[in-house]
Amino acid sequence: MSRRLVGTIAPVLAVMVVLALPLVTTDRYLFKVLTFVGLNLIVVAGLALLFGYAGQISLGHAAFFGIGAYTVGYLTADGAVPWLIATLAATVLAALVGFTLALPMLRLKGHYLGMATLGFSEIMTVLFVEARGITGGNDGLRGIPYPVLGPFKIATPGGVYLLVWITAIIVLVLAGNLVRTRPGRALRALHGAELGAQACGIDTGRLRVQVFALSAGLAGLAGALYASSVGYVSPTTFSLEFSVLLVAMIVLGGTGSIAGPVAACVGLTLLPYVDALIPGLPREAVSFLQDWEADIAGIVMILVLLFAPGGVAGLIRSMTRAGDSR
Amino acid sequence: MSSSELLQFLISGLQSGAIYALVGLGFTLVYASTGIINFAQGEFFMLGGVLAVAGVRIGLPLPLAIVAAVVISAGVGVAMERIALRPRRDSGALVLIIITIGVSMVLKSVARHAFGPNEMALPAFTPGPPVLLLGAAIDRQVLWIWGLTLVAVIGLTLLYTRTRLGRAMRATSLSHDAARLMGIDTAGVVMISFGLAAALGALGGAAVAPLTQTAFDAGARAGLKGFAAAILGGLGNPIAAVLGGLVLGVLESLSVAFISSTYKDAISLVLLLAVLFLRPQGLLGKSGREKV
Amino acid sequence: MKTRRSVLATVLVALLMAAALSGCSGKGNGGSKAGEGGDAPYRIGAIVSLTGSYAGLGTPEQKAIEMEMKRINDAGGINGRQVEVIFEDDATDPAKAQAAVARLLEQENVIAVIGATGTSQTMALRDDIDRAGVPQVSMAGGSVITAEFDKNVFQTPWPNRIVVPFTLRALKDRGLVDVAVISDTGGYGKDGHDLILKGATVAGVKIVADETFNPGDTDMTAQLTKIKSASPDVVLLWNAGKEAAIVAKNIKQLGMAVPLVGSPGNGRREFIEGAGDAADGFRFAAGKILVPEAYGEGTPAFQVAKKFIADYSFAYGVAPDIFAGHAFDAFLVVTDALRRIEGEATPASLRDAIEATDGLVGVGGTFAYSAEDHNGLTEEELVFYRIEGSTWVLDK
Repeated sequence: MSRRLVGTIAPVLAVMVVLALPLVTTDRYLFKVLTFVGLNLIVVAGLALLFGYAGQISLGHAAFFGIGAYTVGYLTADGAVPWLIATLAATVLAALVGFTLALPMLRLKGHYLGMATLGFSEIMTVLFVEARGITGGNDGLRGIPYPVLGPFKIATPGGVYLLVWITAIIVLVLAGNLVRTRPGRALRALHGAELGAQACGIDTGRLRVQVFALSAGLAGLAGALYASSVGYVSPTTFSLEFSVLLVAMIVLGGTGSIAGPVAACVGLTLLPYVDALIPGLPREAVSFLQDWEADIAGIVMILVLLFAPGGVAGLIRSMTRAGDSR
Repeated sequence: MSSSELLQFLISGLQSGAIYALVGLGFTLVYASTGIINFAQGEFFMLGGVLAVAGVRIGLPLPLAIVAAVVISAGVGVAMERIALRPRRDSGALVLIIITIGVSMVLKSVARHAFGPNEMALPAFTPGPPVLLLGAAIDRQVLWIWGLTLVAVIGLTLLYTRTRLGRAMRATSLSHDAARLMGIDTAGVVMISFGLAAALGALGGAAVAPLTQTAFDAGARAGLKGFAAAILGGLGNPIAAVLGGLVLGVLESLSVAFISSTYKDAISLVLLLAVLFLRPQGLLGKSGREKV
Repeated sequence: MKTRRSVLATVLVALLMAAALSGCSGKGNGGSKAGEGGDAPYRIGAIVSLTGSYAGLGTPEQKAIEMEMKRINDAGGINGRQVEVIFEDDATDPAKAQAAVARLLEQENVIAVIGATGTSQTMALRDDIDRAGVPQVSMAGGSVITAEFDKNVFQTPWPNRIVVPFTLRALKDRGLVDVAVISDTGGYGKDGHDLILKGATVAGVKIVADETFNPGDTDMTAQLTKIKSASPDVVLLWNAGKEAAIVAKNIKQLGMAVPLVGSPGNGRREFIEGAGDAADGFRFAAGKILVPEAYGEGTPAFQVAKKFIADYSFAYGVAPDIFAGHAFDAFLVVTDALRRIEGEATPASLRDAIEATDGLVGVGGTFAYSAEDHNGLTEEELVFYRIEGSTWVLDK
């Protein structure tokens, strides 16, 4: 009973907390950092579907994120195209590129697929730098306008934060729902045993392409929102490290669920800012944390996987199971 | 274009290619015994270079500094396997891969703390003017790199085909469980492959440092190229990794010669993708099951 | 159902974390505001790259600023108030730099921001800087920083748009007119490359080859073989990374008898160490800090540079490089302006005071900002160097 109650109250509470945060604080820094969390959540939702349910990993999603960001940056400059249309275009474009790329990549498996996505990402990095007419090259695109929805201009970090988080929650809920629909079950079958899934009459090839395109589109959407919330896009953001970090979130989160990756995403995204988010730290501690940030992140990743190989999702599962038995 | 220029482009490509090959060998060794990609492989390349420089700085003679760097790196590789990977060896490959990413972050950052953020120079193994070959110039250090690559690939091939350990390694790569049932110490085999891979990477790093200098962040790019080399050739086979590395290097150099230096990386990657789409198991890879 | 519940549970966990954090940082905010006014220290933010690919540039920058902060505070501070510099590491990432500036402005209430180390990171701060009206002094050399004028943004290094024409004219003066360009594809190399191509005709030189390489490349013999076949009078290299040493060595390896000329970014000891004897004869333009005697002994600029080199060498055991110098100048520009403010210093009054900087002698040159020029340096500050016997000498 109590679990069902939590299940009903949780979504309401969650939305309330998200909506209430701008009433509680006006700290622009906090909103910026939380906006990054929300953006990563959108990408992670797509990657979780791709890996957890289709068994594929991508080391190239930073490139789709970049495609989304540059599309919005290019289209909305000087207000040429309304924000909403530009954002939709960015999402569709990223999904289309993902679709086109997924067609030949279907033939690849495992590490070869990983290399192919990585190679694609590196090629895109060269294009981001060289296609200066569109991307501004190394100098990047600056002064990308804030989101405008009809008469409303979302021009504060708080407003942008709300926009991104509401989008993230919608994406997460849809992803959670997708899991329970017929294609979702098909996806899970795909991860379990491809031959078995094929025997059940599931077109595994088409599903793979579709889920890859979907995850690319979500990365593009996140990139589009990134461009209009940060207002500045330059090629160094869309690096291999970003792609790797996203994959790490999925694995740390644990497979077969969206809940775990969400928690891992929040944790890993906030980690670099932890020195600023904890109040009252002495300056020495802050500079120590800044200096050793990469070591700490690496050690945390190793320890979590050593002691909880199922990732955060595994932890949640074992915790709820322990709760049930009481 | 004159023939000596063409030869120079070829040599230039084989020079970069041999470096990629040395790193690629480490990837392929670990893959053969575990089925995973060790993303910390590039960091062993970095460790070999910076540790050799550190050895020279504290007054060790160059050969001793290099040997020490290789031995320490191999120890780090073994320790990494024992501490961070073995407890989880029954988990999926991806969990292990992410652990190697965690290890690479730590190694890179610790190296920055220990050796600072600046690039460091290592003296040439055998100083002297470049060797001329039909009008093309070859740096003496490059001869060392080629020699080491050749020794490594011959050594590994002999190891795989002629020794008990090599047979145990191949058996382990086919099936851990079956190998264990046959009485093979699979845990030992895995540990030795990590140690060997780290040593090879470190040797490569030390051999390249006199040409390029080295720094705490030298591993990422070396790892990327080495991974591409191992994949292009086909995972799990030392000769394939070397072939992959050399092909990749020559592709880049020919892109500079005939198309554009700006797009050389993009061109070589497009060709790599094309090869993969036509031959999903790499140039020399055999089609087969893979642990994912 | 189970999955949905755990999704929502996790969202909840995430949000609670967020809420908790917001409460915490709210407190932190209140604390810093309470500390304002009276004789509380001046708070200055500094965004530097301490990790990532510019770690080698940002680290000496931080050292130089820390050293100067300590010196000023030990001497009683400015206007009787101490100076506190709050450092943020941007990890060579524009998005992190932007978050960092938001924190400095929001939570630390700084009156000025020094930084960033790189051009992309510097440009990423602009929107926040403008909204807050806080002056920013960048230590990055990209032309775009002051070419795209912003009333709040100042710059201390010599940007490429000053150095490139100077270098091209120096080539022409030495009779080196057929120029082969090799540059990296990073921001600094591209910026220089474009200016070289644009300025060649005006300077009276001809570009006979144009090659690039990527940061991290390990061999440039392919590019140089192409350059060799164009038989140039000189190879002009534009980059700031460790690849410069490889270019110098590859040129020697290929037996090319052409001189190699570089950029201020090559004025680093690591280049000389890395290139070894291939560095001999390498020439480049930079400010006078590398050989302070260029200012003329006894001049104020000579004194400032000498003292900085001595202080830095004493504090850290190594001689400062040009990046430490840019940071010294950035801190000097801010503190000098603070001294000149009458009454309570605000970001707006500080901005005006910085713009009024005139004849301020730093180690990179003598700064004179104006409402039109926020770089404040001219070609007068540049000299041509040559590397001889592992050290820099003036190339007259």
